[in-house]
Amino acid sequence: MSSNRHKWVFNTSMAALLSVAFCAPLQAAPVSGCTVPSPDCVEVGQFDFSVSLGIGSRSNPVMGESDIPLVVIPQISYYGKRFFLENLDLGVTLYEGRSNTFNLLASPGYDRVFFYRNDLQNFFVSGATGAVTVAAPTDKELYQAQEFEVRPRRTTYLAGPEWLFQYGNIVGQVDALYEVTGRHDGYEVRAAVAAPIIQTEHSLVVSGGLTWKSAEVVHYYYGVDGFYEPGAALSPFLKLGYTRALSDRWSINAFIHYERLGSAIADSPIISDKGVTTAFAGVVLRVF
Amino acid sequence: MWSCGFFSAIALALICDSAGAASGPVPDDITLELQPRVCTLSANDDMCETTVRAQWRSPRDESLCLVIVDRPDIKRCWESFTNGVYNVELSFNKDLTVELRDPELQQVLASETIAVIRQALQLRRKRRQPWNLLY
Repeated sequence: MSSNRHKWVFNTSMAALLSVAFCAPLQAAPVSGCTVPSPDCVEVGQFDFSVSLGIGSRSNPVMGESDIPLVVIPQISYYGKRFFLENLDLGVTLYEGRSNTFNLLASPGYDRVFFYRNDLQNFFVSGATGAVTVAAPTDKELYQAQEFEVRPRRTTYLAGPEWLFQYGNIVGQVDALYEVTGRHDGYEVRAAVAAPIIQTEHSLVVSGGLTWKSAEVVHYYYGVDGFYEPGAALSPFLKLGYTRALSDRWSINAFIHYERLGSAIADSPIISDKGVTTAFAGVVLRVF
Repeated sequence: MWSCGFFSAIALALICDSAGAASGPVPDDITLELQPRVCTLSANDDMCETTVRAQWRSPRDESLCLVIVDRPDIKRCWESFTNGVYNVELSFNKDLTVELRDPELQQVLASETIAVIRQALQLRRKRRQPWNLLY
């Protein structure tokens, strides 16, 4: 299927979904199960701003790039009746039920964080990471002996449908996204589930998932024109997160996240690590 | 047997008459008006804080007292008046009932309520994103 055909299918699907989004009434609160404000239920029309202060870092798999420190992590969110904004993600809700929610989502491509320290996603930390690889020693030596043209990686946005679900204590997320800013026309699928291990005043949650990136995405970030033309990549991850509320405004938060980069990324000559590890521990202040 | 029933009937009649004299007929032509009639609490408000104006009228002279249910600290009485007005600063978070009673506070002559309406909070589910680092 050609790139234009992909675009046509995507644009048609999005148009249909947007029509549904703005024509269908949003389900009332009782359907979503929200009756009182809580960490899971937010007030419509209210801005939330929190900031995490602590110490942490995200390893950088790109050769020659240093790890990314995490000290201050702001978090902004706003939920309208349909519209929502969460840090750099924005979208509209098509359907919200007790167990399933369907959104249309626009979200930035994450891999740029490894190439530009000032990328906004290095401040609004979210999302799984994207790169990784292990090159055989002989390959590494070969790559290090060569010079590659460094081309810019622009900020990109991907858009598409999102399915969020909850069955018992298990929460899941599946996003099917297409790059809409005209840089590489690639696809990305983000999927994950999370389940609590401890849920008292302490909360310990384990999450696992994967990110699938089409060849266009992988090439845009990790390919080398005329030298390394990668295919699609599937990168699984595992995360352990701990939180404890200290008061209405303060809480403790810590997590460790490891993503193993798909082979198409890991085999890139510009990649020096097999995976990306992100760890952070600190306090969270809910400002308003 | 006959005399016993006769005296019982008289005694019952006397008791009933005595009770009726103590309470007396409740007049239904005394009017009481309250302002405001309702108080709407927004999502951020906990209490209605407002001046309540109570005004009563009667076609004849009345001796009565104005009281507020569950607020024994508030009482205002009139003696032989055909109307009266009472303004009071109040703070309340549930329906407020104002009553006109006889001076002994035994009989309710008129009653009105200021309804407290809470603006319903509109809530929705926050995105739960296990793919997100900070979830």
